[in-house]
Amino acid sequence: MNRFRYLLIFFFLISSHALHSQLRIEITEGIEDPIKIALVPIKWNIDLPQKHYFHEVMKQDLESFGEFNVLEPNGMLSLPYNEEEVFFRDWRLLGVDFLVIGEANRIEQSEEIVISYIIFDVIREKAIHRANIHGSIKSIRKISHNISDKIYSKVKGISGIFSTRLAYIDKPSSLDKNYNLRISDIDGFNDTILFSSSQPLMSPSWSPKGDRLAYVSFEEGTSRIFIQEIPTAKRRGLKLEIGINSSPNWSPRGDKLAAVLSRDGNPNIYLYDLKKNTWKQVTDHFGIDTEPDWSPNGKSLVFTSNRAGSPQIYEVNLRTNRIKRKTFEGSYNARPRYLPDGKNIAFVHRRNGVFHIAIQNLKSGKIQILTDTYLDESPTVSPNGNVIIYATKSSDKDVLAGITINGRTKFILPSLRGEAREPSWSPLQD
Amino acid sequence: MTLTNKIILFTFSIVIAACSTVSTERTNDTTAISASSSSVFSDQGIKSNNILYFEYDKADINSAGRAKIRNMAGIINKNDLSVRIEGHCDERGTREYNLALGEKRAKIVSELLVINGVSSSKITTVSYGEEKPASSGSNEKSWSKNRRALIKTF
Repeated sequence: MNRFRYLLIFFFLISSHALHSQLRIEITEGIEDPIKIALVPIKWNIDLPQKHYFHEVMKQDLESFGEFNVLEPNGMLSLPYNEEEVFFRDWRLLGVDFLVIGEANRIEQSEEIVISYIIFDVIREKAIHRANIHGSIKSIRKISHNISDKIYSKVKGISGIFSTRLAYIDKPSSLDKNYNLRISDIDGFNDTILFSSSQPLMSPSWSPKGDRLAYVSFEEGTSRIFIQEIPTAKRRGLKLEIGINSSPNWSPRGDKLAAVLSRDGNPNIYLYDLKKNTWKQVTDHFGIDTEPDWSPNGKSLVFTSNRAGSPQIYEVNLRTNRIKRKTFEGSYNARPRYLPDGKNIAFVHRRNGVFHIAIQNLKSGKIQILTDTYLDESPTVSPNGNVIIYATKSSDKDVLAGITINGRTKFILPSLRGEAREPSWSPLQD
Repeated sequence: MTLTNKIILFTFSIVIAACSTVSTERTNDTTAISASSSSVFSDQGIKSNNILYFEYDKADINSAGRAKIRNMAGIINKNDLSVRIEGHCDERGTREYNLALGEKRAKIVSELLVINGVSSSKITTVSYGEEKPASSGSNEKSWSKNRRALIKTF
């Protein structure tokens, strides 16, 4: 009976931390040889309560996708904070590949701090990056995400995505009777509702600057495209056309939306010019054309079409209007998203009745099934092309899950409130 | 109250107090929770609601369905009713494609009503894709209930 009581206390204590975030990344399958990195707790020359989670944020960031293993401070032989105190042999003995040290100071008579840090390559015994990062004492999380991004990019050679955000939709539940369009930091913190409605919401799409979201709302009883500014929450609806108004997708330059209208009788792809407020038709076929996505260079779109009898993926050159079919395996290929390299797409592929997320090289046509979960849909690709988050089901509930592009790390993002769907990864934050 | 119980209660109350300050959720004042009734699409004044079901991935209507529609056309014309057809899908497949498939289902019913003499000016179609299922559950029993067209007369 006593043991049970202590268990209860323990449970309350850990659950209180869990309630800080809405979606948390939980790795279900990781790789065997993550990069070992030591983050020496930085020397704080300023007393700040937030300093206690600074290290934890960076550790969680780097370990998010199973690519890094962060050495615990109690395993360190020394705690250097300047270059002279670094003895590479000590760190090699611990099997560490990279080392980060740093120091934090308050800028006099201000609410600003500056963190000086150095990243070392332990094997090559040299510093690979030195920087001073400034920020408000109110945005410690932001500063630590920035440093995580820098560490990631120096070590892995591609941008870090720890300062990005995820937009997603949660559907009515016993806790909340509304559909909510939500945005959260990629680590699950700062989850906020951008729009709430008693009617369905769909298809969130980020503007390239990350300051607006386009999405579909059924608040008027039928599908209509809305654009909403994130900081101000101001929103405007595109003029409602007869039929379907959906699948908005922001162009890389931010000047147009690709979308789907069925005003001429059947769903076709159109482009909406945000300055001129005019529509231009791109496809004109009696079948279903939908789910457009822009290539990173803005010159073409991929989209889903059933013009060959069942959903397949096509690419259209926006200058010549030439349309080419891209998928030939299987009878259901849909909802394509370009990878940032513009050479591959992630999409939904049905095989033996099961919907998976797959990747295909647009030139070679070589297809690779990534996921082994069931009823997968809505893939969204990280802006560094390394991770895909998608929607799936677990015990009949809508959940978000993810996988690294090499397929080796799998994770879920269990939502603590409703059921989450339609994830959309923000662009890199400047 | 025993000491252990006191500790539990104390810890619990700290946790609850912490939780109430933890949420960083801001619900913006400008996010309207819209009334779901727009004049064209609300269910106000509805006279009847008939349901037709579909096979997976299909928008075909069988002969029993056609007979039902023929019947309805007669009633609609006799009473000078308006009709709204809502197309729906089960959850399988991608959402936007399902929005289009739902529309296809609604339109086929609409076309059959027109063939049976209903004026197209009396008909509105709308698709909800897989967004408004009749039954939750990821199994054929639920799915078969969701692949439907609702024919509402006013």
